Amino acid sequence: MRRPLEIKAEEASVRSVVSLTSALETLSSMQIAKTKNKVLISNQFFDEVWNIYKQIRVDVFFNFGRTIDETPINKELLILITAKGGLSGDIDNRLIRKVVEHYDEAKNDVLVIGHHGALKLKQSHIDHTYYFDLPEHDYVNVDPLMDIIRQYTKSRIYYQNYISLSQQEIKDVDLSDVVSSKGRVADLSTLGDDMVTEKTYIFEPNSYAVAAYLENSILRLTISQFIYDSRLAQVASRFKAMSAAKERSITNATELHTEYNRAKRSQVDTRLKESMAGLKKLRAGGAE
Amino acid sequence: MADEKPQVEVATEPEQAAPKHSGKPTVAIKVYAPFKIYYEGEGYSLSAVNATGPFDILPHHHNFLCMLVPCNLKIQTPDGEKIIKIHRALMHVKADSITVFVDV
Repeated sequence: MRRPLEIKAEEASVRSVVSLTSALETLSSMQIAKTKNKVLISNQFFDEVWNIYKQIRVDVFFNFGRTIDETPINKELLILITAKGGLSGDIDNRLIRKVVEHYDEAKNDVLVIGHHGALKLKQSHIDHTYYFDLPEHDYVNVDPLMDIIRQYTKSRIYYQNYISLSQQEIKDVDLSDVVSSKGRVADLSTLGDDMVTEKTYIFEPNSYAVAAYLENSILRLTISQFIYDSRLAQVASRFKAMSAAKERSITNATELHTEYNRAKRSQVDTRLKESMAGLKKLRAGGAE
Repeated sequence: MADEKPQVEVATEPEQAAPKHSGKPTVAIKVYAPFKIYYEGEGYSLSAVNATGPFDILPHHHNFLCMLVPCNLKIQTPDGEKIIKIHRALMHVKADSITVFVDV
């Protein structure tokens, strides 16, 4: 059996892990509330722009804002949105696993957003073609990303989706499909007077220029929305990981405390036994 | 929309009484980005710049959709003039309501 002092020292270190994970859990919970609120506010903005876009769009096929004379790279670009660092739970590992299943060196180029994802990808022996840090601020400038996306025939985005505090899923979508499907009007007759047409609106400089501009804007907003969603899922995953770590460390600390009490009791018992034995011996000696 | 030829004449809106502030007609204005509302409230007019040049939107303006170039948006409000510097934006005017989507 270990000495009580050793157990006590170990218990103290586990207790500090409890305090640390508890602080990180609280921090993650605050971040979730903040990020969730921001995502909700931004969704209202996105919905209004989408609503205009789906009424004005000219072409059912989304072509990433490319002109006819631009020849794209005949590969599929895989875009991975991952966390900027560790302590994000297993969410990045799950995303990388999904990418590895789909990846074909001859058919794909990889663009990674987030340092943690880039590291994990390297560990899976896949080299990324492009890398960007995960933006920390509210305003996300996705223009450099758009310039790259525009060069490829197809782009698939892997992102983390927040379902609930305890559940986050990895999703992958074809960017062109998602923009086309969101911009599709289910039933034109339902639009009624709200329809944006040349009969009911003045466009400047003209309707085609506005539609082309909106197509770029929508791509920009779609990517931003995926980044915001991923951020929320990442903080939720961190919260989940920290909660689990806290629970584990509390259990460990409790077990160590029981072990300490047992060891101390055993030490006292041993000493008591030794004293009793000594006393008996003394008494036996006195009787002689 | 793609099949329709641009028309010179535009349909006029049914006359509606615009909201008024101190006897002057006003228009509802909202200038916002995904995470920030720069201005939301009534205003007498909004001045901006697009590729064609500077322009003003007043109450009863026709439905209007345009891209704005980097400029200072000037909003005449009952509390005075508000100036908002924008880099890139989309303006949507409809039924005495102006919405400026910043950073799109």
